[in-house]
Amino acid sequence: MEMTEQFEKTARELEDRIRPQIEEAKKKVSDLNERAVGYIKENPGKCLLGAIAAGYIIGRIASR
Amino acid sequence: MESSESGTLNGQRTEGNSGRAGGGAISVGQRVDRVSDTAQEAWSRTRETVSEIKERLDIDGRVRRNPYGTMAAALGIGYVLGGGFFSPLTARLFRLGLRLGIRLAAIPFLENEIRGFAEAAVAGSDGQEGDGEVASSGEGKRSQQKGTKGGKR
Repeated sequence: MEMTEQFEKTARELEDRIRPQIEEAKKKVSDLNERAVGYIKENPGKCLLGAIAAGYIIGRIASR
Repeated sequence: MESSESGTLNGQRTEGNSGRAGGGAISVGQRVDRVSDTAQEAWSRTRETVSEIKERLDIDGRVRRNPYGTMAAALGIGYVLGGGFFSPLTARLFRLGLRLGIRLAAIPFLENEIRGFAEAAVAGSDGQEGDGEVASSGEGKRSQQKGTKGGKR
């Protein structure tokens, strides 16, 4: 019984310690996504050309 | 050397300078004008065509609606243009995708099968329990009948 309580306490502590980090990481990823989408929407031609160029380079490397 | 080159401009004879500019002959200036007109016309036509293609393809709209999808499509086009389509990497990616797709498609089928087996097993065990009860009651009846028969004898 005591062991179970101890385990639960440790799990709770671990959760409390990790949760803020996960939340922060989630926020950062979301922010990055928003920025990327915003940049793509602002410069569609540049991004498309860049993607085609990147694909071309990858294709050239893969075909060797 | 200079005398032979003096009457030509880019390999073309300059009739106006040679003093033979008649009614049908065209001066250098006129030619330049004509070339610039043609170039301007070609440029405007190209711009019109490009804008028409842009309107038809609706690239801006597509990018706004689905930015990542459009980027992925552009990356794929570049990959194919780069000659990566018939490469070992593509074959490996294709095989991986196929395997993953088959697995994903098989999951609902397997789920149904397992559920069917489980239901059949549960139904079978219930039936066996019922049969067991029936069988035991039948045996009891038979033994009772035997007992009565034996008693009668």
